[in-house]
Amino acid sequence: MSNRRNFFKTAGAVALGATAVSRVGAASLPEAVIQTSPTMQPPLIPNTGRPYNPVATLNGWSLPWRMNNGVKEFHLVAEPVVREFAPGMKANLWGYNGSSPGPTIEAVEGDRVRIFLTNKLPEHTTVHWHGIQLPSGMDGVGGMTQPHIPPGKTFVYEYTLLRSGTHMYHPHADEMVQMAMGMMGMFIIHPKDQRQMRVDRDFVFLLAAYDIEPGSATPRTAEMTDFNLWTFNSRTFPGIDPIVARAGDRVRVRVGNLTMTNHPIHMHGPHFTVTGTDGGWIPPAARWPEVTTDVAVGQMRAFEFDAVAGDWAIHCHKSHHTMGPMGHAVENMIGVDHRGVAERITKLVPDYMAMGDKGMADMGAMEMPIPDNTLPMMTGQGPFGPMEMGGMFTAVKVRDDLKRGDYKDPGWYKHPQGTVAYEYAGELTQPSRAPGATATPSRDTMTMNVRKPTAHTGH
Amino acid sequence: MIRLTVTAAAAVFLAGCASFSTDGGFDRVSELTKERTGQAPAYQRSAEDTENARARVDELLKQPLTAESAVEVAFLNNRGLQANLHSLGIAESELVRAGRLANPLFSFGRLREGGGVVEIERSVMFNVLGMLTMPVARQVEQRRFEETQFQAAGDAVGVAVEARRAFYSAVAAQDLVKFLQQVKEAADVSNELAKRMVQAGNFNKLAQMREQAFYADATSELARAQHQAVAERERLARALGLWGQQLNVMLPERLPDLPKTLVEPKNAEQTAMEKRLDVLAARRSAESTARSLGLTKTTRFINVLEIGYQNKSVSGEPRANGYEVELELPLFDFGSTRLARAEATYMQAVHRTAEVAVNARSQVRESYSAYRTAYDLAKHYRDEVIPLRKRISEENLLRYNGMLIGVFELLADSREQVRSVSSYVQALRDFWIADTTLNTALTGRSPGAAAASGPSPGAAAPAAAAH
Repeated sequence: MSNRRNFFKTAGAVALGATAVSRVGAASLPEAVIQTSPTMQPPLIPNTGRPYNPVATLNGWSLPWRMNNGVKEFHLVAEPVVREFAPGMKANLWGYNGSSPGPTIEAVEGDRVRIFLTNKLPEHTTVHWHGIQLPSGMDGVGGMTQPHIPPGKTFVYEYTLLRSGTHMYHPHADEMVQMAMGMMGMFIIHPKDQRQMRVDRDFVFLLAAYDIEPGSATPRTAEMTDFNLWTFNSRTFPGIDPIVARAGDRVRVRVGNLTMTNHPIHMHGPHFTVTGTDGGWIPPAARWPEVTTDVAVGQMRAFEFDAVAGDWAIHCHKSHHTMGPMGHAVENMIGVDHRGVAERITKLVPDYMAMGDKGMADMGAMEMPIPDNTLPMMTGQGPFGPMEMGGMFTAVKVRDDLKRGDYKDPGWYKHPQGTVAYEYAGELTQPSRAPGATATPSRDTMTMNVRKPTAHTGH
Repeated sequence: MIRLTVTAAAAVFLAGCASFSTDGGFDRVSELTKERTGQAPAYQRSAEDTENARARVDELLKQPLTAESAVEVAFLNNRGLQANLHSLGIAESELVRAGRLANPLFSFGRLREGGGVVEIERSVMFNVLGMLTMPVARQVEQRRFEETQFQAAGDAVGVAVEARRAFYSAVAAQDLVKFLQQVKEAADVSNELAKRMVQAGNFNKLAQMREQAFYADATSELARAQHQAVAERERLARALGLWGQQLNVMLPERLPDLPKTLVEPKNAEQTAMEKRLDVLAARRSAESTARSLGLTKTTRFINVLEIGYQNKSVSGEPRANGYEVELELPLFDFGSTRLARAEATYMQAVHRTAEVAVNARSQVRESYSAYRTAYDLAKHYRDEVIPLRKRISEENLLRYNGMLIGVFELLADSREQVRSVSSYVQALRDFWIADTTLNTALTGRSPGAAAASGPSPGAAAPAAAAH
């Protein structure tokens, strides 16, 4: 972890020139810790204040605090940051303390928190504590419940956490732009009783969508629907950390949605139970068993499962959301006969290669040069070949022999003998049919040309 | 009688001076032309000359044409030029005639008087005035002859200019056909692919017809460009006087590259004043009219002065010898009409010369601007537009690779890239034509109507679109 003491020295020096009050204020600020790495930091074990079971933030980290006369003090810095979405692509975003999303804030039910927010953005901002019950004047709606925080100024939010649960923080000032630029973070309030809602591993991530033109680095903040980067914690597959657990662990996943559409989060393997919503923990009798939970816009969901060994995909079930940037107006070339045409195009565009006439899976396998600072539409190599995925996709990796607190990627699952789908090696004989049935259905006038890959046409 | 003999002797002497030159004044024309075009025209006065020219043209046409060889062929082969050069012969004959005394008049009269008396009168009359004014008249004709030489050289320069322009235009037009074939090919592939998209059920008719429309447009553009290439080739054929087998003339694949350095004519306008053939011709013309004005002034009172020997014999009487002087008395016309005409003619020549000079200066400035602009534009296309288009195409290919754009966009881009190259070819052609025009304006003659018909740099892009 790095910090920017120098920045605050400078900030302090500037404040010194102002009034005595601000000098005292500057002297009393807690340190603002800065983290710019996109790799997941180990959960932050509390060493002061009430104990709790910390969460693991995918590709993120939790914000350290200091205790000040029984008050838990955090220091957030709203500032421009550079975030790597996946190796090969970086974006100019706005975030907190060096990263977007900002660090996860963790505290305990009943804690009194004092959160300093220093605005290093070029425009004013505020912070809204999404889903947290607090005095109205601490709710962070610029102009409505508080003055906006001008650039260079530090404001303080102070309140007591009444109820445990999963929450978010984000600006409520020029929020369309500031959220489109990546300003958001998780706010986890742990139960006072550590035994309550206890799990072995607790993962958090936020869903965010960006529209970054391939080859550029700054999101188009005016976009409403046509996003091309679908992220968990501003990372896209294969840049998203796996959810790592030991077989038998009770695992919780907390998801917040700050995009402009809903995301049905689907997990392969063990069924899960939705245990928490924006409103708090769901009474056991009301919990839903699911394999997919739809996280609507501005919502949070927490679900829990008992880990089963294997590699289990977890992803948004909107298929375009598990893709990297792609042209949404690209013609569908499936079934289009390229014979003769491809050669002629090559004469005009020498490096041309026919793509998509057999589907787009080619994209997952081909490694052709693409524009700078963007990501392939599909990517990721698995142990059995290209995974043809991007965007909101990662794996729940459950192993039998993981140590407690070990969140490192264990690599691909070693399947026990005979548990992997295999090629049928027997004879392909004609199936026995009922008398009178025909092998192929008769074509009606509406039937289009069906090109079956078994009938090779010279490709 | 003695005086008469002297006069006659002088006339004979003068007549002896005024004979035809061996070169017919062509050497000077040749020199003037070579100084301006780098090449001397051939003046074909005999069948042998024509045969030699023909052999040389055949030899030149074995190689692909260059701007220089085009000029040489035109000089050897352009019949219009030969026709113009023969005006030299006409002018020289005038000059020679001016240097020779008018033929003496001989008169013979026979009168039968009554009583068998026959009176015979014989006289020989010389035009004395013509003899006296001969030196001045010769000078006038000399100036006229020189003017004709300048004009002949100017005509030769004009032929060279047209040969160059036609050459550059023909090469460019031929090159443009090649590029438009590529555009058509791109449109054709799009169209073909679109048809297959329809067959596969991935395109509707509208989308397919849009691609087909591109193809249809590209086809008509290509047809126009092909005709343009034929037209430019024919223009070249006319400029070079080509016919028959000569029409197989080979053109180079491409226009010459832009020169590394740009001509920076110093004292451009001064050069034009000193070198331009039309300026020089106009000056000579003014000079000769000035001379003839002077002549008219000195002879205004005398129209005819003829002196002659006369003898008369009458039958039975001794022969009477004597002389006769005939002088037309300017009783009714003191030569004022002739003088007025001469003066007006002179002033006309003066103003014509001034006009030619003013226009020449203006044409130099204009053609220099055109030359600069054409150079900068061609360089801009070469160094900025084409590389930029190429980079755009590279980026588009990357975007195609990433499935960010489709193949139709890729093909549309390749059409655009080809178009940028053809714009460069047009700009390059305009530069070489502007280069020719500037040289003409500096040392030759008025770039004239031929320049106006040449494509202007600004018109290149729309012209490209219309091709």
